[in-house]
Amino acid sequence: MKRDRFQRLDLKSLFKPLLVSGLVVAVLSLFLDLHGVVKAKNHGEVCQEIVQSKSTLSREQLAKLLTIPERDRKSKVQGILKAPYCKLPKLEVRAGVKAEREAYPLEFDPQTWLVILYEGDEYAGYRFSFR
Amino acid sequence: MLALLRFGCSRQKTTELTPQKIQLAQTWELQPGSAIAGYQVAGGLGDISIFLGGKAVFAPFTGSVQPYQGNCVLFSSDEVPAYLFRLCGLKQPQVGDVRRGDVIGAGTYLQFAALRKQPNGTWAFVEPSRSILERTLKQHQTR
Repeated sequence: MKRDRFQRLDLKSLFKPLLVSGLVVAVLSLFLDLHGVVKAKNHGEVCQEIVQSKSTLSREQLAKLLTIPERDRKSKVQGILKAPYCKLPKLEVRAGVKAEREAYPLEFDPQTWLVILYEGDEYAGYRFSFR
Repeated sequence: MLALLRFGCSRQKTTELTPQKIQLAQTWELQPGSAIAGYQVAGGLGDISIFLGGKAVFAPFTGSVQPYQGNCVLFSSDEVPAYLFRLCGLKQPQVGDVRRGDVIGAGTYLQFAALRKQPNGTWAFVEPSRSILERTLKQHQTR
């Protein structure tokens, strides 16, 4: 009986610090993981070079952009959108054709960005990116 | 329990299982997923066939993988406007949101096609660059 109690006490004193340290590790790793998720969400593949840090896109500019078909001239799109917030890293999607990407946060929804892709003098298209 | 919570949080939420429909600019009658004389067509117009030998392919960008006809998936990314990639030949591909470098699936052969958006809303086959194929075949190392 005595021995039994002694054993129980011993186990308790052994497990308590283990439990506490386990909990600390779990909470810390949860925090680190969440931190990672937040970082990844904001990161994606974003700006490589900031061009105009105050640049945003208005509803009017967006409406005008939507009237321009793919394969139209790059200068036509740039005339509407002005300087981008930033440029994304250069890419080559099609063999032998360099693509440039520019990004603009929306004035009325700054969490949403418009990404434009150009190939040479050609406007290839846009996508909305949610950050 | 915390481990389960963590696992639960990191799973993809937006898994869309309905096959996506897109209109191709150049269409052949027989396409991946079509059947001919009791056989399944594995690749066709515009595909580059790569012998994977069971190895995996990876998301070239952060984006999303959606089912397409046959055993094909379509990969799209907000970071790459005007393009879609069609990947055929993968066994049980991962669908939903993926981050760059995530495994999309594995198979014996990969049939890869790059599609570019046309002014009329259709998608035209274009030749993918080496760098896009390399991004798909090699895992991104910066994480």
